[in-house]
Amino acid sequence: MLTAVKNQLRVCLLSLKYNIMREMVNKVTFLTNVCFMVLNNAALLVQWFILFRLREDVGGYTLREIMLLWGLTAASFGLSHILFARVFSLSELIIKGKLDAYLVQPKNVLVSVITSSTDISAIGDLLYGVALACACSPGIGGFFLFLLFTVTGTIVFTAFALLIGSLSFWFLRMDMLENQAVMGMISFATYPDGIFQGISRFLLYYIIPVGMAVWHPVHMINSFHAGTLFTVLGYALLLLTAAVCVFYRGLRKYSSGNLMTARM
Amino acid sequence: MRKYMVIYRSVLLENLQYAANVAMGFLGYFVFIFIFVKLWGYMYRTPEELIAGYTKEQMIWYVMMTEMLFFGSNAASVAREVAGDIRGGNIAYLMNRPYHYTLYILAKYTGEWSVRLPMYVALAVVIGMVMVGPLPHFRLTAVWAMALCVILGLTINAVFKMCISLFSFWIEDATPFQWLYDKLILVVGILFPVEIFPQTLQPLLKLTPIYTVCYGPAKLIVDFSPEKCLEILVVQILYLMVGCEMMFLIYRKGVKKLYVNGG
Repeated sequence: MLTAVKNQLRVCLLSLKYNIMREMVNKVTFLTNVCFMVLNNAALLVQWFILFRLREDVGGYTLREIMLLWGLTAASFGLSHILFARVFSLSELIIKGKLDAYLVQPKNVLVSVITSSTDISAIGDLLYGVALACACSPGIGGFFLFLLFTVTGTIVFTAFALLIGSLSFWFLRMDMLENQAVMGMISFATYPDGIFQGISRFLLYYIIPVGMAVWHPVHMINSFHAGTLFTVLGYALLLLTAAVCVFYRGLRKYSSGNLMTARM
Repeated sequence: MRKYMVIYRSVLLENLQYAANVAMGFLGYFVFIFIFVKLWGYMYRTPEELIAGYTKEQMIWYVMMTEMLFFGSNAASVAREVAGDIRGGNIAYLMNRPYHYTLYILAKYTGEWSVRLPMYVALAVVIGMVMVGPLPHFRLTAVWAMALCVILGLTINAVFKMCISLFSFWIEDATPFQWLYDKLILVVGILFPVEIFPQTLQPLLKLTPIYTVCYGPAKLIVDFSPEKCLEILVVQILYLMVGCEMMFLIYRKGVKKLYVNGG
């Protein structure tokens, strides 16, 4: 069991290494993508400087908390797009019958699929997220919590995309919905939870799990609460398990296409 | 001009077949509007409060209109298509056809948004009426002038995005420059009206494409005045002329750099 996990992990790391090496063939494009993504994210901070000129808090958040929120969202989004970029276009693979190539490999199908590509600009997201967290000076403990929640956030984002993407085994046109759902989740994640009330707040904490991915973690970096930590860890694990189950359940329904493609 | 009309008409008819696909994008628009309704609901302490001269309803309608232009025009498709043609080598076939490549792309793009935008206008009106209420002082008689400003704004945006994509002749991937341009438009023009920025920055912002691409059209919809309309139209025409000149120049220089590999 342990050897199998070790082997899968090795395959994941090799996959990541070769994905990055492939993208680094053109170094100028690689560096421009990373650097401009950092600038691109930084430009959005202007929005918050404007809003904080109007009021001293936005949704109960200070500028420092907003920066932590953005840092955590960017780092989680970045890490999930570095390690598991293909999960965000899973619907397309299923609809176009492109899963065949992964089914015949002597590797775990899901791991093999989701680690098969890397979004290089996401390195910029991750760097930006970590830099923003450092700028907020959360302390050593806070920084370790930030790293832990980056991992849980990555799991939540990936599992959510996997869950929605896997629905393509049953329903048509899920590719557009997958993209919209994931981007919608990211949009919500970059605004403080204090502006949402009532049913929308409940939905954003438990159904579209923005609260579990970023809001709870930001509150915990400021004021640690063990109960909430276990809630976040438990939720991330539960969502991941549900997403994996749905994927393998759907895989039984998968029918191959007759499309001939070459994977380079 | 007739050949570009034919291209426009054929793309329009093609896109009408896929109107249902456009409707799938409504969710993204709704999410943005929902967030901004909640955000501005929090920022305005009292219903009568004015921020940068805008009431809460006007501010939300402003964001709804700019987001409507953003989602309804999908200008990213222009950037993607031009960059894809240059990187993929398809440009070698398209540049020899009896039309100017850049005008061909513009005609195609106009055909695309002619289907998308009216659908988003209808959606924006429904969401606005339900979530915010009617827009105070909206002048129905001035719709034609607003429409003209919107059309010019979308065309200017497409021209600038095409200019950036044409840099793919020199650099392999111009996408990162598109991100920066889009963010500039988003932060300074889409999310906030120019008046919300510090007084010293406002004249500078009015010189950028933001004034013609999103602030101008949205401002006229939210708070129409004939003088403002005339001012925006003049600036838009100037911007369009300069933008087109720049686009033709970059294209002319770019095609000389074109290398096509066989395969």
